[in-house]
Amino acid sequence: MKILYSWLSDFLENPPSPEDLAAKLGRVGLKVEEIKKTGAAFTGVSVGQILKIDKHPNADKLALVDVSDGAGTLRVVCGAKNIAVGQKIPFAKVGAVLAEGELKKAKIRGVESEGMICSAAELGLDGYDNSGILVLPDDTAVGVNAVTLFPKADYVLDVEMLPNQSHCLSHYALARELGVFYGLKLKEARIFEGSAGAAGVPVAIDAPELCTRYTAIVIKGLRGARTPDWMADRLRAMGSNPKGNILIDGSNYVMYELGQPTHCFDISKLNGPAIRARRAVAGEAFITLDNKTLKLDPGMLVIADAKNPAALAGVMGGLDTAVSDLTDEILIESARFNPPTVRLASKTTGIKSESSYRFERGTDPELTLKAARRLAWLILEAAPAAKVTQITDVCPVKYQPPVIEIAPARVNAILGTGIADGEIYACLRSFQPDLKDAKPWKFSVPSYRQDIESVWDAAEEIARYIGYDVIPAVSRMPMLPSSVTPSWAVTAELKNTLAALGFSEVYNYDFLSAKEMQACGLDAAGAVELKNPLSSDYQFMRETLLPGLLKTLRYNLNRGRESVMIFETGTTYLKKDGGKTEEVRCAGLMAGDFPEGGFWRGGQGAADFYHLKGMMTRLFAGKGGFRFETPKKAPGYFQPGLCLEMKLGGAGAGYVGKLAPAVAAAFDFKDNNIFYFEIPLACLAAAWKPEFWQKITKIKPVSPFPQNWRDLSVVLEEKHVWAELERSFSGVQDLASARLIDVYKGKNIPAGLRSLTIRFTFSSMTGTLNDADVGARMTAILDKLARNFGAKLRS
Amino acid sequence: MNATEWKEKLSAIRGSFSVSIAAVPAENPEAIELRYLGRKGELALLLRDLKDIPLEERKPLGALGNAAKQEMEAKLAELKGAAGAAGPVVKADLDLTLPGWPFPKGSLHPLTVTLNRMAECFAKLGFSIAEGPLIEEDYFNFEALNFPPFHPARDMQDTFYVDLKDASGKDMLLRTHTSPVQIRTMKGQEPPVRIISPGRVFRSEAVDASHSFAFHQIEGLYIDKHVSMADLKWTLETFMKDLFGSSAKVRFMPSYFPFVEPGAEVEVSCVFCRGKAEAVRCPVCKGTGWIELLGAGVVHPNVLKACNYDPAKWSGFAFGAGIERFAMLLFGISDMRMLYENDLRVLKQVQQ
Repeated sequence: MKILYSWLSDFLENPPSPEDLAAKLGRVGLKVEEIKKTGAAFTGVSVGQILKIDKHPNADKLALVDVSDGAGTLRVVCGAKNIAVGQKIPFAKVGAVLAEGELKKAKIRGVESEGMICSAAELGLDGYDNSGILVLPDDTAVGVNAVTLFPKADYVLDVEMLPNQSHCLSHYALARELGVFYGLKLKEARIFEGSAGAAGVPVAIDAPELCTRYTAIVIKGLRGARTPDWMADRLRAMGSNPKGNILIDGSNYVMYELGQPTHCFDISKLNGPAIRARRAVAGEAFITLDNKTLKLDPGMLVIADAKNPAALAGVMGGLDTAVSDLTDEILIESARFNPPTVRLASKTTGIKSESSYRFERGTDPELTLKAARRLAWLILEAAPAAKVTQITDVCPVKYQPPVIEIAPARVNAILGTGIADGEIYACLRSFQPDLKDAKPWKFSVPSYRQDIESVWDAAEEIARYIGYDVIPAVSRMPMLPSSVTPSWAVTAELKNTLAALGFSEVYNYDFLSAKEMQACGLDAAGAVELKNPLSSDYQFMRETLLPGLLKTLRYNLNRGRESVMIFETGTTYLKKDGGKTEEVRCAGLMAGDFPEGGFWRGGQGAADFYHLKGMMTRLFAGKGGFRFETPKKAPGYFQPGLCLEMKLGGAGAGYVGKLAPAVAAAFDFKDNNIFYFEIPLACLAAAWKPEFWQKITKIKPVSPFPQNWRDLSVVLEEKHVWAELERSFSGVQDLASARLIDVYKGKNIPAGLRSLTIRFTFSSMTGTLNDADVGARMTAILDKLARNFGAKLRS
Repeated sequence: MNATEWKEKLSAIRGSFSVSIAAVPAENPEAIELRYLGRKGELALLLRDLKDIPLEERKPLGALGNAAKQEMEAKLAELKGAAGAAGPVVKADLDLTLPGWPFPKGSLHPLTVTLNRMAECFAKLGFSIAEGPLIEEDYFNFEALNFPPFHPARDMQDTFYVDLKDASGKDMLLRTHTSPVQIRTMKGQEPPVRIISPGRVFRSEAVDASHSFAFHQIEGLYIDKHVSMADLKWTLETFMKDLFGSSAKVRFMPSYFPFVEPGAEVEVSCVFCRGKAEAVRCPVCKGTGWIELLGAGVVHPNVLKACNYDPAKWSGFAFGAGIERFAMLLFGISDMRMLYENDLRVLKQVQQ
């Protein structure tokens, strides 16, 4: 919220400096984000008139200008394009103090300049055309001190307002805060103090639950009353555009000044004339001030005349009853509306106004009459012939201050402090001067502070009053062992392993476009969709981490990288049975050279399936019951036949494979040499044991006897896959491992067959195996291979 | 044998040793060693002969013998080095400065590193990890946290809604903060509670240098008997010292979050300029000496009541911090977008 320093100062006996003010407000939680100078602060500038323009002898873009300042004619050098003979302009003589400092005598391209024709920026003025010199109205008198033509120098403080600070939304309210927290003496605004009867325009409240108070003042004889310049200047500094009509500008002025929104109806346009605060009838039409037709519903409160809604309460007035320059008689509305009702109406209609902003945060129920009288006073100042003919204050729900019992021990227990009773009492007294000193204190909540509901709220006020620094950093918290969740633990482990294997972790957004879903062959019907996406690029919640990783791959390839190994851990979302499932997954891909950059001696190449499969083996090493399987149905974004399913203890542990050519093409990759894995973390989390001792794998004894190995080359049909052979070795006596060391096809091997070389290692716990022992076992293996797979010893 | 004879003999041995050692083609160093220094080698035998020489003369001779032995050993070692057991030194054709095998270097994301470190700090203070869903119900994200329907505080967090309804028929939403985990945890267990809950949150905001529509928070909650704002300040100060060093101090400023009362904005003393920023404007704290880092406060009694905890019996504190902000400070990143661009030139700089 913008606060004008001079305006705030109107309400303080001894206003502090702007900087001090900002510090004082900040300390109690009202953060001043910016202090900006505004208005005219220059000196030595008078109104001049351009008499003659000559070319500068040494510069094409400069001119020599004769200026009259009323006392004489001076010659200046000027570079502006918009100068013309006869113009009235702000003319600064040598010695003038401008935005950039003091103006000194200067020779410009060899010609002496006796002053300067100023632009708005040079004068330090905001909100004016700044494309050239500032041209003043033709009727401005030459020789007048130019500073008198502009608003006075002032400061605009930009104060950050939190949603609970409804009691701070005006100049007077901030002065009051300074009064409460720093004991600064307050001054009151002038108000209309006369009296008038309540009869005239009848005011009825049909919905007291939505409108607890309605104050109306009727004024007659207003025709042609204009907004005074000082008021227009202040409104302009607030960023509000004054209309010149005191009825509109005055109403805004009172809102910024006191925090109470008001509204003026043109009585001649009111049916009846009468005022009724009632619920809207379903489907009732209403045309707003800015000529929008709304359809209302009974959840909304309207201020109606005898027939139609004249205002959507607290949000906006109606076009049909609006004041104009011809208005002669008005009814000032100053009311208290139910905050949620105003908020709902504002949300439903999409109309946000300064008024709805204040009403939905809660206005002071005791302020309505004062605000109406203040507006009346301002209007009467501008229209001295006008008369107040009616003052009506309908208040079906009187404000009953809640009483909170405050015991000092309770306050200190909440804050963890040892604040003396006297200090707490002094704070409460600054809110409620008549508070009796009997503990526990019975604190009556002031009408403007309805956010104070309990001793917790009071404790905060006391901490603000004394300063939050009173809270010490001490604790007697008992020690407690901490724990982690299974998903946290397995995520950390997985991330560390992948990083150690050479993968870089990335973070992508959870949102996808329909196009990206389609490119991955995903069904949008199963995806969770945002109702209010920022754009169609971010419309769906991801079902898989693949699109984000592909985009990351693309981003890095575009920046010249030739090898990419990345992974991400994140949530994926799916609709399920009318609800949703969230699944945390870990996915990654590798593409390009492996290892990155190659090796000068060779031994590198393009990343392929077996690299990634090996990484998966390493990732799951030591996890019981891990295996690869041929998937029954792999996700569509894998190339068919080039994907394996992973299983951990029977549960699905994701997939590893090569990207489908169609997906690679849809993401504009030149080929599909992109290898991808995706693992649901639930499988790991389910197997995770919280107790350290349970997690540890017991160490098996190893043989004290030397081990023995033999290589065996066999030739067999290609249809017999390695996994089948491997399974067949189980049960071979003393076999410690069977490691595939070579696969060969080609010369000397008939088509359709291949040669496998396997190294068998034997080890016994009971003794040294001699050549005969090993030979017997090798014969058994070869027999088995021959029998099961038709394998023949390679010659 | 007398001393003179002994010395002559030693000199002869040294002479023949130097011939052996310089022989071309080179003799096997092991053989030379055996001949001269072995148990029955020439020098060993000569040293053994010392016992026949009178004691008073023996000492200087012994020293001479030992010196000769050492000299021979050194020469032999040199010879072995030149053509040792491992074979002759290969010179020139092996450039040891060539690069080694390029084991791939991976990296953890700056946000992960930051989050892990923060979680570790709080684990030391007894805070356990708790988690919750990202697609939330209005009740957990707002209502139970003392954001009544139609309360303007809801405007503080622009919310994304999804095409799903909760059991009460309200639109489900993407959680705008990690605070719903407070409610889920309290509803699921009896006090005391001491948890942190890190995770992703969403707000419908345009992306710029300091905003993102998806970002990460860490939530903290402690409920017990007699918990005060002083406990909160100690906890956060201890955490900050752990993260930013022992000189870090914490300052509370009044602030507002619906689910705490009193509420505070928490600032840490600027460890980057150590408060000496007045002369040169510190870009981190902008010359104020303090960096705004999190929001905190005493758990609001309405929140306790929503979870069926009696506010007369139990009290607590809660805090929440944006992890991006910490990561940006720790890694010296000035634009939040850098954290989501996933440029490997950036990410691979992270050391874990």
